[in-house]
Amino acid sequence: MAENFEQHSDVSAADLARLTQEAQAEATPSTAKIIWSEFKADKPAMAALFIIVGFILFVMIGALFINTPKMMETNIMGYFNQPFTPEYWLGADSGGRSVAKQLIVGSRNSIGIAIGLTLISSTFGICWGLISGYFNGYIDWGMQRVYDFMMMLPMTMMIIVLVTIIPHYNSVTLTLIFSIFYWEGTSRLIRSRTLAESEKDYVAASRTSGTSHWKIIFREIMPNISSLIIVDCTLSFAENIGVETGLSYLGFGLPSQTPSLGTMIANANDPNNITQYWWTWLPAALEIIILCLSISYVGQVLRRAADASQRQGAAD
Amino acid sequence: MSLVEIKDLKVHYPIRTGFWNRITDSVRAVDGITFNIEAGETYGLVGESGSGKSTTGKSVVGLEKVTSGSIMYKGVDITSKANRNKLDYNQDVQMIFQDSLSSLNPRKRIEDIIAEPLRNFEHLSKDDEKLRVLQLLDIVGLDADALYKYPHQFSGGQRQRIGVARAVATNPKLIIADEPVSALDLSVQAQVLNFMKKIQREFGISYLFISHDLGVVRHMCNNIAIMNRGRLVEIGTREDIYNHPLHIYTKRLLAAIPETNVNQRAAHRASRLAVEKIYQEQQSKYYDDKGEAFPLIQVSPTHSVALPENIAKQLASQEGEVQA
Repeated sequence: MAENFEQHSDVSAADLARLTQEAQAEATPSTAKIIWSEFKADKPAMAALFIIVGFILFVMIGALFINTPKMMETNIMGYFNQPFTPEYWLGADSGGRSVAKQLIVGSRNSIGIAIGLTLISSTFGICWGLISGYFNGYIDWGMQRVYDFMMMLPMTMMIIVLVTIIPHYNSVTLTLIFSIFYWEGTSRLIRSRTLAESEKDYVAASRTSGTSHWKIIFREIMPNISSLIIVDCTLSFAENIGVETGLSYLGFGLPSQTPSLGTMIANANDPNNITQYWWTWLPAALEIIILCLSISYVGQVLRRAADASQRQGAAD
Repeated sequence: MSLVEIKDLKVHYPIRTGFWNRITDSVRAVDGITFNIEAGETYGLVGESGSGKSTTGKSVVGLEKVTSGSIMYKGVDITSKANRNKLDYNQDVQMIFQDSLSSLNPRKRIEDIIAEPLRNFEHLSKDDEKLRVLQLLDIVGLDADALYKYPHQFSGGQRQRIGVARAVATNPKLIIADEPVSALDLSVQAQVLNFMKKIQREFGISYLFISHDLGVVRHMCNNIAIMNRGRLVEIGTREDIYNHPLHIYTKRLLAAIPETNVNQRAAHRASRLAVEKIYQEQQSKYYDDKGEAFPLIQVSPTHSVALPENIAKQLASQEGEVQA
């Protein structure tokens, strides 16, 4: 069979290296290069990227040097200490605990939960949506009924009940509990695009080329809806920071001895704190706003990089 | 023995209605068609939009679930998926799609697109595979530069040639060409068609050429089947169809070919109107009570038409055709 092609083409094995080189010279840049040039074209997004990466690294590493149980001990001498003093950079709360240290450990906990939750729930939701949308028919029907059932459950109440039932929970179990409920929106979104995408001819072409269903789903369709996936992941990451925060604020999130952004914002429950002791809750609130904004900037750049028609970066 | 024998092929889609979503009726996209594709020939399948020709093509390549009937290849009925897998059927039967842009994955480089069937069926080494892709690009007249580019960087004609390269990559015996040039402008159409013919000569491939453009079909095909409302209304050689059309639907299609000679504009218009008038007035003669085509009747060794026997004979003698 190979001879058949050789007969009708001038290209032979001898030309392989030369032609490969020629082709590489003309090659379209790789995805990483495209993303980088997009960042270079969008200065605020570049700043946002550095803020996120820098901040996450800072809290992850910084938290290692902080002895949490000791930090969470009540120190009556530091009761609502003013901020910007040598011992308490950002002041102290009603227990005399350093707000700055709590902020570092709390951010690590909250961001860790958000990253874990986004990874687990988005992966599961994307797979669920892709499989449901691609196979269609009875499989889709069954999977969507499971989805409907999950949607029907009152999410916040279930989480609160689960948190109360499980005796010794920490950030890992909390992440897993959240993950049970947070894949749904993603899965429906991905399914709708997959339904449209799997009707396209390139999927039919892959099938006639003998490619297996799984390969078509994850190697053909998934890259084509990657811009949607990226946008959804960044948005749900920003949202997931809020999920833990919200629940901790209500008092059902992490245990009180584990600081998190939510427990810090919960300081704002007290009108006294809101008016007089602003340093107990304001840093955490500002941090969440800045992080979420930065994430959405970065998400926009990733989306533009994934979609050739929206690019702003240099052509090559 | 023919390469592919299609026998009484039916593809029906259920229509579900009512509260219980029960099947109350069906759309008969393809309703009992029978024809054979010989090795090395181009078989034309012609009809208007919605006549079921693409569905037929997709059934032959295995993309459409067949309701009933059989498609025999190497003595095996390939309407069942297990049989297709056993034979590596798609190594021998490939498809060229109408829309060249949507048939190429926009997120994959040309090398990966063309190598896809090779990776699944032939398992070549990396260098052999790249060499084969380069040879294929050369055969369809594209430079090696194309290797690492994406589909959107090419023009329509180039993309369709990439589609052709992918289809011939595994050296198939039959290629289903589903309106391969109808999305291209005329000069590019000729270019792509000539590449297809060249490849056919060199590799001995058969085509099932699906089109509504009778000019293109005349250029490409030895045997032609005319399809209307899910059924075949006329089968014959190029000569039979173009010079001795019997069914009114074939005549209408032929009358609809644009005439470029302006001096005969009036005459052409008159003949077109005459055919249309016969079609309007004599529906009952050419179609049965339900408006469907009759079963095919053979009027010569190569020529069959879907008409009642007496009318077929009468028309055939009028056209001066040799009786079977």
